[in-house]
Amino acid sequence: MDELELLKKDWQKDTVTYPKLSANEIYPMLLKKSSSIVKSLFYISIGELLFWIILNSFPFLFDSYREAFDNMLMSKAFFYGVTIFTYVIIFLFIYLLYKAYKSISVADSTKGLMESILKTRKIIKYYVIYNLVFGGALIIFSFIIEIVKNPKVSEQIAQFETDGKLAIFWATTIGMLILGILIFGGFIWLFYRLIYGILLKRLNQNYKELKKLEV
Amino acid sequence: MKLTKELEHSFVEQLEKHQNIVHKVCRLYTNNQDAHNDLFQEITIQLWKAYPKFRGDSKFSTWMYRVGLNTAITLYRKGKRSINTQHMDDVLYKVKSVEYDDTEEQQLKLLYKAVHQLNDIEKALVFLYLEDKNYREISYTMGISEVNARVKMNRVKTKLRTILNP
Repeated sequence: MDELELLKKDWQKDTVTYPKLSANEIYPMLLKKSSSIVKSLFYISIGELLFWIILNSFPFLFDSYREAFDNMLMSKAFFYGVTIFTYVIIFLFIYLLYKAYKSISVADSTKGLMESILKTRKIIKYYVIYNLVFGGALIIFSFIIEIVKNPKVSEQIAQFETDGKLAIFWATTIGMLILGILIFGGFIWLFYRLIYGILLKRLNQNYKELKKLEV
Repeated sequence: MKLTKELEHSFVEQLEKHQNIVHKVCRLYTNNQDAHNDLFQEITIQLWKAYPKFRGDSKFSTWMYRVGLNTAITLYRKGKRSINTQHMDDVLYKVKSVEYDDTEEQQLKLLYKAVHQLNDIEKALVFLYLEDKNYREISYTMGISEVNARVKMNRVKTKLRTILNP
Protein backbone atom coordinates (compact mmCIF):
# COMPACT_ATOMS: atom_id res chain seq x y z
CA MET A 1 0.00 0.00 0.00
CA ASP A 2 1.13 3.51 -0.77
CA GLU A 3 2.74 5.02 2.32
CA LEU A 4 0.92 8.28 1.94
CA GLU A 5 -2.40 6.51 1.56
CA LEU A 6 -1.86 4.86 4.90
CA LEU A 7 -1.00 8.20 6.42
CA LYS A 8 -4.02 9.82 4.85
CA LYS A 9 -6.32 7.15 6.23
CA ASP A 10 -4.99 7.81 9.70
CA TRP A 11 -5.01 11.59 9.26
CA GLN A 12 -8.61 11.61 8.13
CA LYS A 13 -9.72 9.42 11.00
CA ASP A 14 -8.86 12.24 13.36
CA THR A 15 -7.44 9.87 15.90
CA VAL A 16 -5.57 12.76 17.42
CA THR A 17 -7.58 15.04 19.62
CA TYR A 18 -6.50 18.61 19.36
CA PRO A 19 -7.00 21.05 22.20
CA LYS A 20 -10.37 22.61 21.54
CA LEU A 21 -10.11 26.34 22.09
CA SER A 22 -13.23 28.16 23.12
CA ALA A 23 -14.23 31.58 21.78
CA ASN A 24 -13.22 33.05 25.13
CA GLU A 25 -9.74 31.65 24.67
CA ILE A 26 -9.50 32.94 21.09
CA TYR A 27 -10.47 36.56 21.80
CA PRO A 28 -7.31 37.45 23.78
CA MET A 29 -5.20 35.87 21.03
CA LEU A 30 -6.34 38.55 18.60
CA LEU A 31 -4.70 41.22 20.71
CA LYS A 32 -1.26 39.61 20.81
CA LYS A 33 1.55 41.05 18.75
CA SER A 34 2.65 39.36 15.57
CA SER A 35 6.27 38.36 15.10
CA SER A 36 6.17 37.86 11.35
CA ILE A 37 9.10 38.58 9.05
CA VAL A 38 7.03 41.20 7.23
CA LYS A 39 6.85 43.16 10.44
CA SER A 40 10.60 42.87 11.03
CA LEU A 41 11.23 43.82 7.43
CA PHE A 42 9.01 46.86 7.85
CA TYR A 43 10.88 48.07 10.95
CA ILE A 44 14.23 47.51 9.29
CA SER A 45 13.25 49.51 6.20
CA ILE A 46 11.98 52.38 8.36
CA GLY A 47 15.29 52.26 10.22
CA GLU A 48 17.18 52.35 6.94
CA LEU A 49 15.28 55.31 5.59
CA LEU A 50 15.91 57.18 8.83
CA PHE A 51 19.56 56.21 8.86
CA TRP A 52 20.22 57.62 5.39
CA ILE A 53 18.06 60.69 5.93
CA ILE A 54 19.94 61.49 9.15
CA LEU A 55 23.27 60.78 7.50
CA ASN A 56 22.34 63.15 4.68
CA SER A 57 21.00 65.90 6.93
CA PHE A 58 23.40 65.55 9.85
CA PRO A 59 26.03 68.04 8.61
CA PHE A 60 23.49 70.84 8.29
CA LEU A 61 22.65 70.75 11.97
CA PHE A 62 26.01 72.25 12.85
CA ASP A 63 27.02 75.86 12.18
CA SER A 64 30.59 74.98 11.37
CA TYR A 65 29.46 72.55 8.71
CA ARG A 66 27.06 75.05 7.25
CA GLU A 67 29.88 77.59 7.05
CA ALA A 68 32.10 75.07 5.40
CA PHE A 69 29.38 74.47 2.85
CA ASP A 70 28.98 78.19 2.34
CA ASN A 71 32.70 78.51 1.64
CA MET A 72 32.65 75.48 -0.50
CA LEU A 73 33.98 75.70 -3.95
CA MET A 74 30.96 74.01 -5.46
CA SER A 75 28.34 76.39 -6.67
CA LYS A 76 25.32 76.91 -4.42
CA ALA A 77 22.91 76.07 -7.21
CA PHE A 78 24.61 72.74 -7.69
CA PHE A 79 24.52 72.07 -3.98
CA TYR A 80 20.79 72.83 -3.69
CA GLY A 81 20.13 70.81 -6.79
CA VAL A 82 21.78 67.79 -5.22
CA THR A 83 19.86 68.26 -1.95
CA ILE A 84 16.50 68.52 -3.70
CA PHE A 85 17.33 65.52 -5.85
CA THR A 86 18.20 63.51 -2.71
CA TYR A 87 14.87 64.28 -1.08
CA VAL A 88 12.87 63.55 -4.22
CA ILE A 89 14.55 60.14 -4.32
CA ILE A 90 13.83 59.54 -0.63
CA PHE A 91 10.14 60.29 -1.11
CA LEU A 92 10.04 58.14 -4.19
CA PHE A 93 11.43 55.24 -2.22
CA ILE A 94 9.03 55.82 0.66
CA TYR A 95 6.17 55.70 -1.83
CA LEU A 96 7.48 52.55 -3.51
CA LEU A 97 8.01 50.85 -0.17
CA TYR A 98 4.54 51.77 0.99
CA LYS A 99 3.06 50.34 -2.18
CA ALA A 100 5.11 47.18 -1.88
CA TYR A 101 4.05 46.62 1.73
CA LYS A 102 0.44 47.18 0.83
CA SER A 103 0.66 44.48 -1.82
CA ILE A 104 1.88 41.85 0.65
CA SER A 105 -1.12 39.69 1.42
CA VAL A 106 -1.08 36.64 3.61
CA ALA A 107 -4.14 35.36 1.73
CA ASP A 108 -2.15 35.31 -1.52
CA SER A 109 -0.81 32.02 -2.87
CA THR A 110 2.41 30.83 -1.22
CA LYS A 111 4.44 31.78 -4.25
CA GLY A 112 2.67 35.12 -4.64
CA LEU A 113 3.31 36.01 -1.02
CA MET A 114 6.98 35.14 -1.28
CA GLU A 115 7.33 37.20 -4.43
CA SER A 116 5.75 40.27 -2.91
CA ILE A 117 8.05 40.03 0.12
CA LEU A 118 11.10 39.60 -2.09
CA LYS A 119 9.97 42.57 -4.17
CA THR A 120 9.82 44.72 -1.06
CA ARG A 121 13.27 43.58 -0.10
CA LYS A 122 14.48 44.45 -3.59
CA ILE A 123 13.26 48.03 -3.25
CA ILE A 124 15.24 48.41 -0.05
CA LYS A 125 18.24 46.90 -1.80
CA TYR A 126 17.98 49.41 -4.64
CA TYR A 127 17.71 52.21 -2.13
CA VAL A 128 20.92 51.11 -0.46
CA ILE A 129 22.71 50.70 -3.78
CA TYR A 130 21.53 54.14 -4.80
CA ASN A 131 22.89 55.63 -1.59
CA LEU A 132 26.23 53.90 -1.98
CA VAL A 133 26.65 54.85 -5.63
CA PHE A 134 25.45 58.39 -5.09
CA GLY A 135 27.62 58.82 -1.99
CA GLY A 136 30.63 57.41 -3.79
CA ALA A 137 30.08 59.65 -6.82
CA LEU A 138 29.71 62.67 -4.58
CA ILE A 139 32.98 61.91 -2.78
CA ILE A 140 34.84 61.50 -6.06
CA PHE A 141 33.24 64.61 -7.48
CA SER A 142 34.10 66.79 -4.47
CA PHE A 143 37.59 65.37 -4.54
CA ILE A 144 38.06 66.42 -8.16
CA ILE A 145 36.64 69.88 -7.50
CA GLU A 146 38.92 70.27 -4.49
CA ILE A 147 41.95 69.48 -6.62
CA VAL A 148 40.90 71.62 -9.55
CA LYS A 149 39.65 74.66 -7.68
CA ASN A 150 41.28 74.84 -4.26
CA PRO A 151 44.38 77.08 -4.52
CA LYS A 152 45.99 75.47 -1.47
CA VAL A 153 45.78 72.04 -3.04
CA SER A 154 47.13 73.35 -6.34
CA GLU A 155 50.08 74.88 -4.50
CA GLN A 156 50.84 71.60 -2.80
CA ILE A 157 50.62 69.74 -6.06
CA ALA A 158 53.05 72.22 -7.61
CA GLN A 159 55.38 71.62 -4.66
CA PHE A 160 55.26 67.88 -5.18
CA GLU A 161 55.91 68.39 -8.85
CA THR A 162 59.10 70.35 -8.21
CA ASP A 163 60.19 67.69 -5.73
CA GLY A 164 59.59 65.09 -8.43
CA LYS A 165 57.16 63.20 -6.17
CA LEU A 166 54.02 63.87 -8.16
CA ALA A 167 53.47 60.24 -9.14
CA ILE A 168 53.74 59.12 -5.52
CA PHE A 169 51.32 61.84 -4.46
CA TRP A 170 48.70 60.77 -6.98
CA ALA A 171 49.15 57.11 -6.27
CA THR A 172 48.71 57.52 -2.53
CA THR A 173 45.78 59.96 -2.76
CA ILE A 174 43.81 57.93 -5.26
CA GLY A 175 44.74 54.72 -3.48
CA MET A 176 43.48 56.11 -0.17
CA LEU A 177 40.29 57.32 -1.83
CA ILE A 178 39.52 53.95 -3.37
CA LEU A 179 40.42 52.15 -0.17
CA GLY A 180 38.11 54.44 1.81
CA ILE A 181 35.21 53.86 -0.56
CA LEU A 182 35.80 50.11 -0.58
CA ILE A 183 35.98 49.85 3.21
CA PHE A 184 32.85 51.94 3.67
CA GLY A 185 30.94 50.14 0.92
CA GLY A 186 32.15 46.74 2.07
CA PHE A 187 31.10 47.43 5.62
CA ILE A 188 27.59 48.44 4.59
CA TRP A 189 27.33 45.50 2.21
CA LEU A 190 28.34 43.08 4.98
CA PHE A 191 25.85 44.66 7.33
CA TYR A 192 23.03 44.10 4.87
CA ARG A 193 24.08 40.60 4.06
CA LEU A 194 23.92 39.86 7.75
CA ILE A 195 20.50 41.40 8.41
CA TYR A 196 18.75 40.03 5.37
CA GLY A 197 20.73 36.85 5.27
CA ILE A 198 19.40 35.92 8.68
CA LEU A 199 15.90 37.23 8.09
CA LEU A 200 15.27 35.89 4.63
CA LYS A 201 17.37 32.74 4.51
CA ARG A 202 14.44 30.42 5.00
CA LEU A 203 12.23 32.38 2.61
CA ASN A 204 14.84 32.28 -0.12
CA GLN A 205 15.34 28.56 0.35
CA ASN A 206 11.62 27.90 0.17
CA TYR A 207 11.17 30.16 -2.80
CA LYS A 208 13.89 28.31 -4.67
CA GLU A 209 12.29 25.02 -3.75
CA LEU A 210 8.93 26.25 -5.01
CA LYS A 211 10.41 27.60 -8.24
CA LYS A 212 12.21 24.35 -8.95
CA LEU A 213 10.71 22.63 -12.00
CA GLU A 214 8.75 25.75 -12.85
CA VAL A 215 9.09 26.69 -16.48
CA MET B 1 -16.96 50.38 17.07
CA LYS B 2 -20.00 48.19 16.68
CA LEU B 3 -18.76 47.09 13.30
CA THR B 4 -15.45 45.97 14.73
CA LYS B 5 -17.23 44.01 17.43
CA GLU B 6 -19.40 42.30 14.86
CA LEU B 7 -16.41 41.50 12.71
CA GLU B 8 -14.57 40.14 15.70
CA HIS B 9 -17.53 38.06 16.70
CA SER B 10 -18.05 36.49 13.29
CA PHE B 11 -14.32 35.83 12.97
CA VAL B 12 -13.96 34.13 16.33
CA GLU B 13 -17.06 32.09 15.66
CA GLN B 14 -15.67 30.80 12.36
CA LEU B 15 -12.20 30.19 13.71
CA GLU B 16 -13.63 28.26 16.63
CA LYS B 17 -15.51 26.08 14.20
CA HIS B 18 -12.59 25.49 11.83
CA GLN B 19 -9.73 25.57 14.32
CA ASN B 20 -8.70 22.03 13.49
CA ILE B 21 -7.23 23.26 10.21
CA VAL B 22 -4.84 25.48 12.15
CA HIS B 23 -4.04 22.69 14.60
CA LYS B 24 -3.22 20.40 11.72
CA VAL B 25 -0.86 22.92 10.15
CA CYS B 26 0.85 23.29 13.51
CA ARG B 27 1.05 19.54 13.86
CA LEU B 28 3.08 19.23 10.68
CA TYR B 29 5.29 22.26 11.16
CA THR B 30 6.19 21.94 14.83
CA ASN B 31 7.63 19.27 17.03
CA ASN B 32 6.44 20.12 20.49
CA GLN B 33 3.48 21.58 22.28
CA ASP B 34 5.05 24.97 23.01
CA ALA B 35 5.96 25.51 19.39
CA HIS B 36 2.53 24.29 18.38
CA ASN B 37 0.85 26.92 20.58
CA ASP B 38 3.22 29.60 19.36
CA LEU B 39 2.49 28.93 15.70
CA PHE B 40 -1.22 28.64 16.44
CA GLN B 41 -1.07 32.10 18.00
CA GLU B 42 0.74 33.60 15.00
CA ILE B 43 -1.64 32.04 12.48
CA THR B 44 -4.57 33.39 14.49
CA ILE B 45 -3.13 36.91 14.35
CA GLN B 46 -2.48 36.65 10.62
CA LEU B 47 -6.00 35.33 9.99
CA TRP B 48 -7.48 38.13 12.05
CA LYS B 49 -5.38 40.78 10.31
CA ALA B 50 -6.40 39.48 6.89
CA TYR B 51 -10.02 38.92 7.83
CA PRO B 52 -11.38 42.38 6.87
CA LYS B 53 -10.23 41.66 3.33
CA PHE B 54 -11.82 38.23 3.25
CA ARG B 55 -14.74 38.69 0.92
CA GLY B 56 -16.15 35.24 0.93
CA ASP B 57 -15.43 34.52 -2.74
CA SER B 58 -13.77 31.39 -1.45
CA LYS B 59 -14.83 29.27 1.48
CA PHE B 60 -13.60 30.36 4.89
CA SER B 61 -11.80 27.05 5.22
CA THR B 62 -10.07 27.38 1.82
CA TRP B 63 -8.94 30.84 2.82
CA MET B 64 -7.67 29.42 6.11
CA TYR B 65 -5.52 26.86 4.33
CA ARG B 66 -3.76 29.64 2.46
CA VAL B 67 -3.21 31.91 5.43
CA GLY B 68 -2.25 29.04 7.71
CA LEU B 69 0.30 27.55 5.34
CA ASN B 70 1.65 30.95 4.34
CA THR B 71 2.22 31.82 7.96
CA ALA B 72 3.92 28.52 8.72
CA ILE B 73 6.10 28.57 5.61
CA THR B 74 6.88 32.22 5.06
CA LEU B 75 5.87 34.66 7.74
CA TYR B 76 6.48 32.82 10.94
CA ARG B 77 9.76 33.50 12.64
CA LYS B 78 10.65 30.68 14.86
CA GLY B 79 10.61 32.19 18.30
CA LYS B 80 12.82 31.71 21.27
CA ARG B 81 11.57 28.23 21.69
CA SER B 82 13.64 26.23 19.30
CA ILE B 83 11.45 24.25 17.00
CA ASN B 84 14.35 22.58 15.30
CA THR B 85 15.43 20.52 18.25
CA GLN B 86 13.79 17.23 17.67
CA HIS B 87 12.95 15.20 20.68
CA MET B 88 11.75 11.78 19.82
CA ASP B 89 9.02 11.92 22.40
CA ASP B 90 7.89 15.27 21.13
CA VAL B 91 7.67 14.06 17.59
CA LEU B 92 5.70 11.09 18.69
CA TYR B 93 3.44 12.79 21.21
CA LYS B 94 1.10 13.44 18.38
CA VAL B 95 0.57 9.83 17.53
CA LYS B 96 -1.21 8.10 20.31
CA SER B 97 -3.73 5.95 18.54
CA VAL B 98 -3.99 2.48 19.91
CA GLU B 99 -6.59 0.94 17.70
CA TYR B 100 -4.08 -0.35 15.17
CA ASP B 101 -2.11 -3.46 15.43
CA ASP B 102 1.50 -3.03 16.38
CA THR B 103 3.02 -3.10 12.94
CA GLU B 104 0.67 -0.55 11.46
CA GLU B 105 1.07 1.73 14.45
CA GLN B 106 4.81 1.38 14.18
CA GLN B 107 4.67 2.17 10.49
CA LEU B 108 2.56 5.25 11.12
CA LYS B 109 4.99 6.52 13.72
CA LEU B 110 7.81 6.16 11.24
CA LEU B 111 5.73 7.86 8.57
CA TYR B 112 4.96 10.88 10.73
CA LYS B 113 8.60 11.06 11.65
CA ALA B 114 9.57 10.94 7.99
CA VAL B 115 7.10 13.70 7.11
CA HIS B 116 8.69 15.87 9.78
CA GLN B 117 11.99 15.53 7.97
CA LEU B 118 10.63 17.03 4.75
CA ASN B 119 11.26 20.67 3.92
CA ASP B 120 8.63 23.37 4.34
CA ILE B 121 7.30 23.18 0.78
CA GLU B 122 7.14 19.40 0.75
CA LYS B 123 5.26 19.46 4.04
CA ALA B 124 2.71 21.84 2.53
CA LEU B 125 2.13 19.45 -0.36
CA VAL B 126 1.74 16.50 1.98
CA PHE B 127 -0.59 18.51 4.18
CA LEU B 128 -2.89 19.43 1.32
CA TYR B 129 -2.79 15.87 0.08
CA LEU B 130 -3.72 14.50 3.49
CA GLU B 131 -6.54 17.02 3.62
CA ASP B 132 -7.80 15.43 0.40
CA LYS B 133 -7.26 18.48 -1.75
CA ASN B 134 -7.03 17.88 -5.48
CA TYR B 135 -4.20 19.18 -7.64
CA ARG B 136 -6.23 22.17 -8.75
CA GLU B 137 -6.63 23.29 -5.14
CA ILE B 138 -3.00 22.53 -4.36
CA SER B 139 -1.95 24.60 -7.37
CA TYR B 140 -4.25 27.45 -6.25
CA THR B 141 -2.95 27.45 -2.68
CA MET B 142 0.72 27.20 -3.54
CA GLY B 143 0.73 29.36 -6.66
CA ILE B 144 2.38 26.73 -8.85
CA SER B 145 1.03 24.97 -11.93
CA GLU B 146 -0.94 21.76 -11.59
CA VAL B 147 1.68 19.87 -13.55
CA ASN B 148 4.37 21.15 -11.24
CA ALA B 149 2.32 20.21 -8.19
CA ARG B 150 1.92 16.69 -9.55
CA VAL B 151 5.62 16.28 -10.28
CA LYS B 152 6.57 17.66 -6.88
CA MET B 153 4.11 15.35 -5.15
CA ASN B 154 5.64 12.33 -6.87
CA ARG B 155 9.08 13.45 -5.74
CA VAL B 156 7.84 13.82 -2.20
CA LYS B 157 6.53 10.26 -2.30
CA THR B 158 9.88 9.03 -3.55
CA LYS B 159 11.67 11.02 -0.87
CA LEU B 160 9.45 9.59 1.85
CA ARG B 161 10.17 6.11 0.60
CA THR B 162 13.88 6.82 0.70
CA ILE B 163 13.66 8.12 4.24
CA LEU B 164 11.68 5.07 5.32
CA ASN B 165 13.89 2.52 3.56
CA PRO B 166 17.37 3.95 3.50
